[in-house]
Amino acid sequence: MAFTEVFITGIGIISSTGNNCQENLEALKTAKSGLRPLSLFPVAHPFPAGEIHPDPVSDPGLPRTHALALRAAREALAREDRPPDAIVIGVTTGGMPKTELLLREKNPHPEAYIWHGAGTVAACLARELKCPGPAFTISTACSSGAAALIFGRALIRSGAAVRVLAGGADGLCRFTYFGFNSLQLLDPQGARPLDKNRAGMSLGEGAAMLLLTGAGEVPAHAIARLAGGGLSCDAYHATAPRPDGAGALAAMREALADAGLSAAEIDYINLHGTGTVDNDAAETAAIKKLFGNTIPEFSSIKGTTGHSLGAAGAIDAAVCVLGLAHGIVPANGGFREVDPLIGISPRTKPHFRPIRRLLSNSFGFGGNNAAVVITAPRETPSRPQRSAPPALRVRGSACLTGAGGINATVARFLSGESAAGRLPDEEIAKDLPPRAIRRLKRLPRLALALAAAAQADAAVKENPAAVFFGTAWGPLSETYDFLMKLFETNESLSSPTDFIGSVHNAPAGQVALWFQAAGANLTASCGDYSFEQALLMAGLFSPAGKFSIVLGAEETHPLFSPLLDASVAGGAAASDGGGALIVTPAREESGARLKSLFFASGDDPREAAGSLVSALGGLETIRGKYDAVFAGIPGADDARAREQLDRFLSLTRFSGPVIDYRRYTGQYAAAAATASVLAVRLIANGKIPRSLAGAGDLILEKKGILVLGLGRQVTALEALG
Amino acid sequence: MMEALLAELKKKLVETINLPDVNPDLIDINAPLVGGELGIDSIDILELVVMIEQDYGVKIDSKEVGRKVFASLKSLAEHIAAHRTQ
Repeated sequence: MAFTEVFITGIGIISSTGNNCQENLEALKTAKSGLRPLSLFPVAHPFPAGEIHPDPVSDPGLPRTHALALRAAREALAREDRPPDAIVIGVTTGGMPKTELLLREKNPHPEAYIWHGAGTVAACLARELKCPGPAFTISTACSSGAAALIFGRALIRSGAAVRVLAGGADGLCRFTYFGFNSLQLLDPQGARPLDKNRAGMSLGEGAAMLLLTGAGEVPAHAIARLAGGGLSCDAYHATAPRPDGAGALAAMREALADAGLSAAEIDYINLHGTGTVDNDAAETAAIKKLFGNTIPEFSSIKGTTGHSLGAAGAIDAAVCVLGLAHGIVPANGGFREVDPLIGISPRTKPHFRPIRRLLSNSFGFGGNNAAVVITAPRETPSRPQRSAPPALRVRGSACLTGAGGINATVARFLSGESAAGRLPDEEIAKDLPPRAIRRLKRLPRLALALAAAAQADAAVKENPAAVFFGTAWGPLSETYDFLMKLFETNESLSSPTDFIGSVHNAPAGQVALWFQAAGANLTASCGDYSFEQALLMAGLFSPAGKFSIVLGAEETHPLFSPLLDASVAGGAAASDGGGALIVTPAREESGARLKSLFFASGDDPREAAGSLVSALGGLETIRGKYDAVFAGIPGADDARAREQLDRFLSLTRFSGPVIDYRRYTGQYAAAAATASVLAVRLIANGKIPRSLAGAGDLILEKKGILVLGLGRQVTALEALG
Repeated sequence: MMEALLAELKKKLVETINLPDVNPDLIDINAPLVGGELGIDSIDILELVVMIEQDYGVKIDSKEVGRKVFASLKSLAEHIAAHRTQ
């Protein structure tokens, strides 16, 4: 059942200002700063940073980010006697604190890199907390933590879960320190958000987790309510915010509308307030537009905690909850003098007074904006019921494989031959303007080529307004090149272009720029199931009456991929590509449609297969609805995936063809995107040829293909004609 | 001397910020670097900062100094010539 109200019933925080909620609360009361000259690794000129001491890593096998996430998760769940239904983590660099050291020492062993993927933070939590449900990951740079909360809230309101652990985590590492340094965005004196002389941010690290609970009545242990959320994209520049703050304003307005509150009802704004010249100017411009002459008290905590990137939105939200529960308006550390170009001053000392309706902002590279509204448990009006995520009507589609575009790929597939391979770079770029892609390497180019081809196929004039992207590994070329240059120069120089391009959501940001898509822009990164998560998010966040694009893509990197993706390490031919679909929320049950149906842990194959069957509506429904099953079997997880599949097939006694689609797409994490596009096209085509279906052509009379993702997680989506 | 440095910088500019459709010989050394015909923005400038430090040993840190230095290719060459260590 779906609950309309989402409460915060547990929180955990670890930041440079405290290793738990209590310590962070004390720090809030005294405005204590956690910024000290960087000591975690040697640099020529250590700028102030928000490090966590003592070393939070107790298991040396785990990267810092994972350790931080676990600490905050355990605190948030301290009073719970059962695991959450689902986990949603916002994170930027995943296991980078460990990976960068492995690459520096040229470690050639794939098993050393198992915690690299952004999705492994949530997977690690799921394992440690014994969560039987899905482990989702959002990677939208510095808005990740807030976007994770918004996604968690939407999951509850759609009925997909009742209790969701949502938050963000990021550990300090060379990658981000030298990256922001190369952008000259680190303030040598420490972050001074909003100050006239501000000169950049201070990096921080940490994690915050919120236990979100759906309920009809206010639960006894509710601390606050996650009352609303808003997402938008600047579609302006890879890193710089829109100077007029229009994107930030749109996210705040949407969050307020979602909560059913007016701006005048907000009594505190927690700013993104990084301390960079551009962010603070754009954000305050948006605040002034939204609140006019009656701006409530506001502050940024990043002058005391530092900017903890993927964790920041969650830490900010958790601090808001502490402030709400204990009656404290947080101070804006580092601020001394009002900037005449901004003209308004934040709260400079803690203010002890009740606050009941809070707005918290988080923005990131790619022009990603997220805003959340947090209120006292009984403070907001009840929100209307939200229906389950709709099916998405497919208006256009495209894929790229080693064989080429959609027509070449379908032809290969229909003749029973593999389309796996690595398309040459010039093939991918051939229809893209050289100036638009001069700074882009392989993955963003793949994404843009897919987006352009899907839009051309849709043959509609209107551009998509929202972007939902899935990638397990993000831009590997940019990430690898950035680190190699850093190490070649003895950790003194690195490429700002590669750094900007390395964030997982950079390709989605480029797609937004391409389409001028100012709506929600979300990047999912949960390993082999990233496209499936992107599709689920598209179902939850696609704006009515507008087009959206949902896509999944992966690049293969000759040196990096075999280290990271165990499905590739097994000697599979290098292959990559992806798929993209232009969609609208489906209003009627006809036409080509795609819908996310199921997401759970695959740890227990029997249980996963059983829940899958009941989630799909039982044996009769499954046999009556689908002509064929496309099974996603990651090479690295072959045995477990086949056990899950066998159990599913024996439970349902499904007699149609079952196609192991990675045999045709190649082994790469986003292969599900390619397979989904193929499924849509095959249904339109009306039949599956002999070569694939066994004996004789199979006429697709039911016009339905079930696309399963198997292995560590089990997922299902359906393509219907 | 300055001629050689300018010619070298033109080539490095096109390579560093990847302008495959620009003929280095045709770059106007007096034209504004940022926001001009070449479509160079602040990220390209930061990329050039890294290249100049790596290839000439000249650090360009401050945004104030940077604005003057990167006014044109000519001003950049003059700054490098005056400060280079390699």
